[in-house]
Amino acid sequence: MNKYTTFSKLQNNPLKEPMFLGNPVNVARYDQQKFEIFEKLIEKQLSFFWRPEEVDVSRDRVDFQELPEHEQHIFISNLKYQTLLDSIQGRSPNVALLPLVSIPELETWIETWAFSETIHSRSYTHIIRNLFTDPSEIFDDIVVNEEIQKRADDISCYYDDLITATQFYQLNGAGELTKEDGSKEQITVRNIKKKLFLCINSVNALEAIRFYVSFACSFAFAERHLLEGNAKIIRLIARDEALHLNSTQHILNLWKDGADDPEMAEIAKECEQEARDIFMRAAQQEKEWAEYLFKDGSMIGLNKDILCQYVEYISNVRMQAIGFDAPFETTSNPIPWINNWLVSDNVQVAPQESEISSYLVGQIDSEIDHDDLGDFEL
Amino acid sequence: MAVKLTINGIAFAIDPKQTILDSLERNGIGSEYHCRDGHCGACQCKLLSGEVAYDKTPMAYVRSGHILTCCSKPKGDVELAIPGVRLPLKLTG
Repeated sequence: MNKYTTFSKLQNNPLKEPMFLGNPVNVARYDQQKFEIFEKLIEKQLSFFWRPEEVDVSRDRVDFQELPEHEQHIFISNLKYQTLLDSIQGRSPNVALLPLVSIPELETWIETWAFSETIHSRSYTHIIRNLFTDPSEIFDDIVVNEEIQKRADDISCYYDDLITATQFYQLNGAGELTKEDGSKEQITVRNIKKKLFLCINSVNALEAIRFYVSFACSFAFAERHLLEGNAKIIRLIARDEALHLNSTQHILNLWKDGADDPEMAEIAKECEQEARDIFMRAAQQEKEWAEYLFKDGSMIGLNKDILCQYVEYISNVRMQAIGFDAPFETTSNPIPWINNWLVSDNVQVAPQESEISSYLVGQIDSEIDHDDLGDFEL
Repeated sequence: MAVKLTINGIAFAIDPKQTILDSLERNGIGSEYHCRDGHCGACQCKLLSGEVAYDKTPMAYVRSGHILTCCSKPKGDVELAIPGVRLPLKLTG
């Protein structure tokens, strides 16, 4: 691992660098890629660009005011939790991963990813500002609400641990770090790689399941034609999150399959149980979140048990995607209607104004051969 | 010409011009999907035999021996394992 510099003059071959902890990226070039997937993700994410103000949420205020108190609690708590998640995700991939990344396509993907999370954060402000005369009462509760704090700690600790170790290494090289609580830790490149591995696993679990309890509630309201502006926004967010998840799944699988840094393949094996535990803990926390949401009563079409089953179901799907066995017995989706809301191209927009993939793909056929001109006569 | 699709041991005929997911739905089988665009990987399942083709390479990380149903079309008879999927009575008899 070389010291970070904003422009390394080392004439290196980026196609031979590992994803992380090789040489810092110098030239931002995208004509060639070590891992093409990140270039594709950048393009897809850019084609998904949207702005919260495009969605009219004014009708939601009336709907919200007419909701019974326990449903208002469900709706607002989810918004607070999502605000927390995207506050973390809007900055942390940049702060934690950019000093370590070594290939240009992944560097730009991380920036594109984090940027899209800031759009999500801005959309929560858009929704909350519409519902409340004083949005501060909602935002201020996020840092004191115990249920939200429990989750925040579990997500940010992996980022923070990695960031501290990286900063220490950048300043001192390998050595002994004295932590705030007085405990000591040996910082080495391998140790940073391990922290990176755990951090990506935690982010993967976040993108894979943490959002989905909230998504399910938002879509369940919209199935009753309530708070539909909010659901339109959540649908756009869900579409973006699928891409973010794709990227963390790719990073983890590339490491695991030995397609990148061989030391990361070793670490993936060594820390398999820890990675699994991170996922299981996230699933458990989401179930507890469902319990908190429905503490004063259920909503039509959803209750605590159904949501917990969904957490188990989606955890099975997501864990298998990164090569783990399915840990839960739930094999069928208890809320299959949610999938209609997660279809990428069902997001209703004018095709010429936004880049729907099915509208763009195949619009130009640039390949031509003699057969195409077979029946051509002058 | 129709090809044979076998899901968890139950076989039925499908149109190879349609994606496997569309064929599943046409036959009343609700299997998992999200994006229907090949990038989320939610519809990934195990290919036991046969081959499939993709109109464009899917973006999701597809594990070896697995396929995405949302964007693949069968190249001939295909057998898949989709745990937890419920097949309608008209197919199971």
